[in-house]
Amino acid sequence: MKRRVAVVMLALMVVAAGVIVMLPGTSYKAQDREAIMSGATAHHWVGTDDVGRDRGVRVAAAVLLGLGGAAAAAAITTAIAAAVGAAAAFSAPGVASVLMLASDLFLSLPWLFLLMMVRSFLPLTTSPLHSAVVTFSILAALGWPACARAVYRGTLNLRSSEWMIQGRASGLRNTQLMRRHVLPHLLPLLIPQFLICVPAFIVAEANLGTLGLGIAEPLPSWGAMLLELDNSASLALSHWVYLPVVVLVMVLLLLESLTAEV
Amino acid sequence: MRTVVLICRRLGRTLLLLALVAVGTILLMRFAPGYFSDSREMDAKYAQREQTELHQEEAKSGTFRQLAASTLGGWLHGDLGSSRQYGVSVMELVRPRLRVTAVLLVRGVVFGWLLALCTAFPLSVWRKARAVAGVPFTVLLAIPTGAMATLCLLADMGGPVLVLSLLLAARDFKFLQRLFDSAWTAPHLLQARAQGVRFDRLAAAHLLPNVTPQILGLATLSIVTALSAIVPIEVIFDVPGLGQLAWSAALNRDLPVLLTITLLMAAAVSCAGMIAPRDRMVQTA
Repeated sequence: MKRRVAVVMLALMVVAAGVIVMLPGTSYKAQDREAIMSGATAHHWVGTDDVGRDRGVRVAAAVLLGLGGAAAAAAITTAIAAAVGAAAAFSAPGVASVLMLASDLFLSLPWLFLLMMVRSFLPLTTSPLHSAVVTFSILAALGWPACARAVYRGTLNLRSSEWMIQGRASGLRNTQLMRRHVLPHLLPLLIPQFLICVPAFIVAEANLGTLGLGIAEPLPSWGAMLLELDNSASLALSHWVYLPVVVLVMVLLLLESLTAEV
Repeated sequence: MRTVVLICRRLGRTLLLLALVAVGTILLMRFAPGYFSDSREMDAKYAQREQTELHQEEAKSGTFRQLAASTLGGWLHGDLGSSRQYGVSVMELVRPRLRVTAVLLVRGVVFGWLLALCTAFPLSVWRKARAVAGVPFTVLLAIPTGAMATLCLLADMGGPVLVLSLLLAARDFKFLQRLFDSAWTAPHLLQARAQGVRFDRLAAAHLLPNVTPQILGLATLSIVTALSAIVPIEVIFDVPGLGQLAWSAALNRDLPVLLTITLLMAAAVSCAGMIAPRDRMVQTA
């Protein structure tokens, strides 16, 4: 029940964000020079930022970008984890050791530190779209190891089950066994991993943004909007500056309630 | 004998991982854009010919082997090399910051754990209050570290220790609550309760010894979480610790400094992994 409510609320948020972004005459980068840091007005319902951009449109675009990017990155990372974990379980012990060593290599550094390090080594002065692609690609590329270990364990358990022995005895090849039997059985493991990754990636993007390593302006992202809070002068002018934090927390709470229910 | 072999294998694996981390860091830095940029290139007094010489010099000293050799040389020299950004030995930079970060970590982990334990344990007994008391932790869990630190800074309320403690408490509270829940419903505890064993004795003699190994595993995971969080916390609060130094070194392509901090981080995580069995850590994660 709780899960259904969370799904409906998330869907409503996404639809509302989509409608706000698609409204004619609205743009996340359009500046209203007459209304810099304005409060709520008839023209700008939740005010504007320090360069006169409509905060409502930017938050809506950040919801879409954050959720879309994090979901895509989570899907990729889950697919990598499934591939690595299943390949390790079905390959020779030496190959499995190397693959697990590779996952340990990523796990040997704290997650945010690793992200910060890798992101800072990549070009920082790029186009906004490129920076968004780079940020979410890094999340996808670095997020798989813990999940891969879980998949490896799960696949090893499945491998020794009776129906798998029967499948092998029937002459099925490893690829067939993996595609037809192992992957469907791993779905109860992979779906929660995917759902865990989505909020984790949103939080990671926001943290990278607060370090100045996230998505470049003028593309709206959680991290960039949290950076707005650094400007104490703007906080005194409008309380709507806190809107991105409130919406971000709401999105994360809904995503976490989804994860808890699975 | 078996224990010795096990310890040797773990140590060997840890050393191999540290070596791979070092190689990975050097490679990443080697190919990072801007690594070879020299401030002298911006200076108009250097003519084209000198600039070409600079590029040639960089190309010679910029191979992976050269970089690894100079880094290793610095490590063998005992001062961990020289910082490109500050022009002083890395040891001189890292030593005072190590203390600052260690103090922050210890305080954050201790206060975070006290907060999580002091809330989760009573709630495992007094279940009616759980719905209300658990809400702040759920909300805290949904706030990114950077945002939490910025909000604390703006509100002029608390400092880096508070943010780290809240973060860890929020992360560990639910695990602890589940742990205590399952421990209370264990058959031997139900039996002891049915026999009328006093609550304090029940907790001290039956509950805590049962949950201590899991708590230890979770505590080591807290160290990893705390290490991860110190970067944004130190940067936002302007704490002169290792996290801030790492961030600055990464942005300024300061390989010797970044390599040292990366290895320290990897060693800390590996030590935490040695204390807690890996499987338990992955399961808890």
